[in-house]
Formats: sequence, structure tokens, C-alpha cells
Amino acid sequence: MQEQQCSHHWEMTNVHPGFIITEKCFKCNKTSTYFSAEDSPPLEEYREGEHFWNVMGSAQSVRFDLKCKNCNTLVPLKELAGMMMCTGCDEKCKVDKLMCDLEKERTWVYVAFGFRPPEETVPLSPEKIAIIEDYFNWRRGSTTSKIKIVSSDMIDDFDTCYAEVIKDIGLLSLTPVE
Amino acid sequence: MKLQEIINKFELKALTHVEDREITGVYISDMLSDVMSSAQAGNLWLTIQTHKNIVSAANLIDISAVIVTNGKQVLGDTIELANRFHVVILTSPLSNFELATKFIQAGIK
Ligand SMILES: [Zn+2]
Ligand SMILES: [Zn+2]
Repeated sequence: MQEQQCSHHWEMTNVHPGFIITEKCFKCNKTSTYFSAEDSPPLEEYREGEHFWNVMGSAQSVRFDLKCKNCNTLVPLKELAGMMMCTGCDEKCKVDKLMCDLEKERTWVYVAFGFRPPEETVPLSPEKIAIIEDYFNWRRGSTTSKIKIVSSDMIDDFDTCYAEVIKDIGLLSLTPVE
Repeated sequence: MKLQEIINKFELKALTHVEDREITGVYISDMLSDVMSSAQAGNLWLTIQTHKNIVSAANLIDISAVIVTNGKQVLGDTIELANRFHVVILTSPLSNFELATKFIQAGIK
């Protein structure tokens, strides 16, 4: 048996800039988000089955996967729509409680979220979230502070959450990747 | 070079508490997604962005300080959030280019 335990050393790979597009269907009121790697995101209304999607907004973002430089294990992160930092906006929220507990140890809580609607998209697994957390803590290399990444499932109401999302709004040009 | 030395030498104004530490280089971008994908821990991050979510990106990577250039005003809620998360925000009246030129002349890369 060759299989040895690899203490993975994650690196970013397949880094692609693009847009996170948010759409709303005016018939059923559903919100949908997806990643577009096109130079300029589609802005026209279109029909998809029962839905009539209207673009509500777009934010520049980056899509990436993680790969272990020791054992080449690839962790595709197509399910990851983005990350946001908990700012403690709701005392009753489980993420807020966790942040209050961890703040003393200088561990900052980030929420990783997938695409919407959650019932029609692949969720981010806890294993992948743990790997993303490992990666960023390794990259920070800090001995005095850490980050903790949790799933957006911990948030009761995503729409009223005031966490600070890492995204770029209002920039509509994209430099093509070579 | 240490952060406090940089603040003194380049006449940067601190808008938050400053915790002195070694800096690892300079990163220039106005895109948070760039910072998330490419900045290194301990970098000084030069930007004209002042929105609160710069704190979120800077903290994720453990940036040593965000330097808001062009003398752009940083609003109180950004400063408040930065202080809570121990993110250092500095300002300079110089542009990204002018400040970066001074850094290079001083041997900081
Ligand atoms: Zn490995
Ligand atoms: Zn619909």
C-alpha cells in the first residue's frame, strides 16, 4: 500500500475572473445567481421554461479551485459563489454567536456561500469548506489570528444579513485572461 | 521594513489603531477579487476603494495595512469595522503611482 497520509498543501488553481450575476424571475419571484466568465455579462431579460429572468445586478468576482501541491489532489470549487465576513448584524444568528465566541481569540468568521436558489444548485460540502479554511489559514501564515469559515446554511435569513461580501460592484469591463 | 517606519517615512495618516509588524511587500489593485486571489499576507494594499468590504478582503488575507490613496475620504463605518477586526487603514494624498514610485525608490517592493 502506497497510500500515505498527505498533509495537503493547497494552492489556488484555475483562477478565472468573471461575474456573479443575480437575476429575479418576475413571475415566481425566485432569485437566481450564477457565474459568468464572459467579457460582458448578459443584461437582457430572457425566458427559461417557466421563468422570466431579469438581471438585478452583477458583481465582478473570481472563481478558483484548490490543488494540493504535494499529492495533486484537485478540489473543484464550482459550487462556491463567494465569501463574506460576519460583522455581527443579528444577535439571534448562529454565525453572529460563533463570531462573538471566537473574537477573543482573534478568529474571524467568514461565510462561504453557494449559488441560488439553494434547492436547484449543488451545495458546498462541509469537506470543501474545511479545505477552503485550511487554504486561507495557510496563506495567512499568521500566528496571532485565524479565520473560521462556515456554511451559509448557518444563516437564517440570507436576505437580511449584513455580512461584508468580497465582491466588486459596478465595474463592467473585464480584462480577458491570456 | 516595519509598518510604523513606513507610516513615518512616507507621511501616511493612520485612521485606525496601528499594530506594528513586518511588511512583506506591496500590492496595488482596486479589485477585492484580485486581493482574494493574488495578494500576500503582510502586504501593504494600495487602493482607491473605501467601501466597508475592503475590511473583509484585507482581513481574509491578513494584509498589513490598506493604504487609501488620492486623499480619498474614508467613511466612519469603514473605519469602525476596521478597528473591530484589527485591520489597519492608512491614507495618503498621493496617487497609487506616486506612492508606489516612492516605495520603489526606498527599496520596498
Ligand atoms: Zn495532498
Ligand atoms: Zn419563475
